[in-house]
Amino acid sequence: MRIKLTSIMVDDQDKAIRFYTDVLGFKQKHDIPVGEYRWITVTSPDGPHDVELALEPNANPAGKTFQEAMFKQGIPIAAFEVSDIKGEFARLTAKGVAFLRPPAQAGPVTLAVFADTCGNLIQLYQPA
Amino acid sequence: MLLRHEGFRRLCRARDLLLEDREPAPSIVDLAREVHISPFHFIRQFEAVFGTTPHQFRIQARLDRARQLLARGQHSVTDVCMEVGFSSLGSFSTLFARRLGEAPSAYQRRIRRSVQVPGELPAAITPGCLCLMSQLPATAFSRTVRSFREA
Repeated sequence: MRIKLTSIMVDDQDKAIRFYTDVLGFKQKHDIPVGEYRWITVTSPDGPHDVELALEPNANPAGKTFQEAMFKQGIPIAAFEVSDIKGEFARLTAKGVAFLRPPAQAGPVTLAVFADTCGNLIQLYQPA
Repeated sequence: MLLRHEGFRRLCRARDLLLEDREPAPSIVDLAREVHISPFHFIRQFEAVFGTTPHQFRIQARLDRARQLLARGQHSVTDVCMEVGFSSLGSFSTLFARRLGEAPSAYQRRIRRSVQVPGELPAAITPGCLCLMSQLPATAFSRTVRSFREA
């Protein structure tokens, strides 16, 4: 048993693939039409054999309710590790990304939180 | 862009307001006023956070709801059009077709065929994403396996 795949709900798969590749810099691994939706996964260029992240349509009303509630409470739905959090903050801010929390030390890590434009908050963390 | 807690809270409130059915629907400028952000900053910040303008967000939310109502199969296209806040059937149908690739009536006929239980949404239009995996071509996984072995 291995962990090879995880997913994140997005409110629009076209918008999501643009944000996760053009803005964040992930690489598209799959983009396969399935009925009304697509099976889209991305991986990190820094870890092409890491876990794949599926960009899941939030068409299910239950999923949408969950996603909106977490967002409103300011709770990140995923966290990505970075090695230079201040550099990432500057790079993403320059690309128009909205941060709710600039890089700040929190216990053993430095954290920052941004909106992914698809209905989620994402946490970046840099271990000390 | 850095949003502080209060600014973020206002945008979330604005998103809720955009999802409300109010007749007549408030203008974007009125909504900005209601959440105490200048219209310019409202549109700019909303787009940075939600990836779309407030206006487009409202249209998309209405079309999503129309899609669900049509799929339930209990309402006519005209009823759905009015229910989600469009006053003209023509502009509703045109917009629906442009965004979803087929007219509302064609969409309803197609989805009705896959409805198992009347009034319930068919799984095809409300997937949990990992279910989609079962419908992928075999090659999707052979590629994954190959890249894994190459690693």
